[in-house]
Amino acid sequence: MKQGRTIVIDPVTRIEGHSKITLHLDEDGAVEEARFHVTQFRGFEKFCEGRPFYEMPSLMARICGICPVSHLIASAKACDALLAVTIPPTAEKLRRIFGLAQVVQSHALSLFHLSSPDLLLGMDADPAKSNLFGVAEENPELARDGIRLRQFGQEIIERLGGKRIHPAWIVPGGVSEPLTEVNRDAILSAIPDALGIVERTLEWFKGRMENFREEIASFGNFPTMFMGIVKQDNGLTFYDGKIRIIDAAGKVVADALDPKRYFDYIGEKVEPWSYMKSTYYKPVGFPDGIYRVGPLARLNVADRCGTPRADQELAEFHELQRTAVLSSFHYHHARLVEMLYCVERMEQLLNDSEILSQRVRAVARPNALEGVGACEAPRGTLFHHYKIDEQGLIRWCNLVIATGHNNLAMNRSILQVAKHFVRGNHLTPGMLNRVEAVIRTYDPCLSCSTHALGEMALRIELLSPSGELLDEVARG
Amino acid sequence: MPRVLIVAYGNPLRSDDGVGWVVADELHRRLASPEVEVVRLQQLLPEVAESVSRVETAIFVDASRDGDPGDIRCQPVAAPPARIQFSHQLSPAEVLGLASQLYGATPQALCVTLAGECFEHGEGLSEKVAARLPLLAAAAEQLTKKILAGPLASSLPSQEDEAAS
Repeated sequence: MKQGRTIVIDPVTRIEGHSKITLHLDEDGAVEEARFHVTQFRGFEKFCEGRPFYEMPSLMARICGICPVSHLIASAKACDALLAVTIPPTAEKLRRIFGLAQVVQSHALSLFHLSSPDLLLGMDADPAKSNLFGVAEENPELARDGIRLRQFGQEIIERLGGKRIHPAWIVPGGVSEPLTEVNRDAILSAIPDALGIVERTLEWFKGRMENFREEIASFGNFPTMFMGIVKQDNGLTFYDGKIRIIDAAGKVVADALDPKRYFDYIGEKVEPWSYMKSTYYKPVGFPDGIYRVGPLARLNVADRCGTPRADQELAEFHELQRTAVLSSFHYHHARLVEMLYCVERMEQLLNDSEILSQRVRAVARPNALEGVGACEAPRGTLFHHYKIDEQGLIRWCNLVIATGHNNLAMNRSILQVAKHFVRGNHLTPGMLNRVEAVIRTYDPCLSCSTHALGEMALRIELLSPSGELLDEVARG
Repeated sequence: MPRVLIVAYGNPLRSDDGVGWVVADELHRRLASPEVEVVRLQQLLPEVAESVSRVETAIFVDASRDGDPGDIRCQPVAAPPARIQFSHQLSPAEVLGLASQLYGATPQALCVTLAGECFEHGEGLSEKVAARLPLLAAAAEQLTKKILAGPLASSLPSQEDEAAS
């Protein structure tokens, strides 16, 4: 009797964190099922219990070395809610600049350092050359641009926050220090160069899309809903606004949802084979309530960017498909449009007449026992939810992370790619690279997504070679 | 414009892995000069290649897992390996390789390491490593001063130089 086989890709390379993918083949060698296992384990929701709430931004920033600023922002916003304060307008603008700088450096890392080998050298390139060094050899300007753009974002974070990784400048009630004139002028002087890099990379990328027709057709190209925070006028934002959800046809499913009430409409499910939770849209249920977040979703749900060049590019992006843009391959394109927006928007904010104001922090004692903070992290919508006691100590914490929102879509995308490209009897590096590459389109941050500890369901199954269940242990 | 870039890297929340950061603070104080720049990093990323490309000499200071705890070594940085699997961090040799490939720069480079004993979570250094810290700082300081004072090639160790016994 023929038996099924399993192909394991472990570790998955050029992503943020540690994971493996298993592909289950049927007896004819065709892919039957695919799973994305996140194999690292954190524990932030649990070990912050008992800590003073004002420590949370600094603690939560440690979740991730790539997007600490998003955790700082969401955490500080949750703490603002605990203080029940409105932060000074300049503090809010400075937080926005901080967040935009991080999006630029994070998107640059994803696009230039992790995915450009696939985009430049092709999915079938020699794995030994499919890295930044291969890019440097083939197109040194592209590699230099990636380095410069990341430096641009990192330098802004350092100028504002004092250091590049895990800055503690954002605090409950605002920011700890105002912006200096020297730093403002230094950042402004770097903007034309950054803008030029994004513009020419966008043109380069659009010129490359023709080479990836098959990938565009098979990389997560299926109907789902899309979710993101938008401004009141449905414009693109990373800092604050309302939750908007659209369906695959581009029709609005839910509008003006309050991010503070995320638990009313977002469910979280724990799967036994991964440390990453899967979220779903509650009114539709699991798993049909699948939706995507991040650059692709944000551009799908936004009607406009609000900056001149990004608005032009958004209009062109929306032309890719008459419905919502469905293929996850277009995450790369969306990332570039967002970087354009970020650089333009930072320039607008830095030229604001109040940006050097010294009033940047509201000081208060806790005035509420529960607070939610939400923002758009580079990879998608991020929620921090805290409950404190009368002494201001954390009693409960829940984090809903961008990568978790995309978990269902990532698994389905892997299955789609694997079914299309992988044939069990003829494995090639190019086939397996495409399975990894579809994950890279989402730019998952697994460090962020595996923060939970405690109520994690665990199942161990003992299977015979023929797949028969011999024993089972379960808890949680 | 700095002539020497000292790149001290490691994770200060991983006990002895943070030795580079402690030394960096000391070197920043001892070598205060426009000719020397000291930076602290958690890991070597491609951006470092651009910084390295702008100086005559780069000195990488790091904790090492090789050797007996407390061993101090100073080695020239070798050419990058033929096969590179870049994900998130680079070796000093790979940084040099990128500096050459992208910016046409071929600065001299050295790696000064101190073998650690404990790499577990924690902010302090182990006793053995802490005891050798002054020697490591002195070795890096002397090396930098030698580089700034004299002909470059003669100031660099040829193969492997045990900076202190």
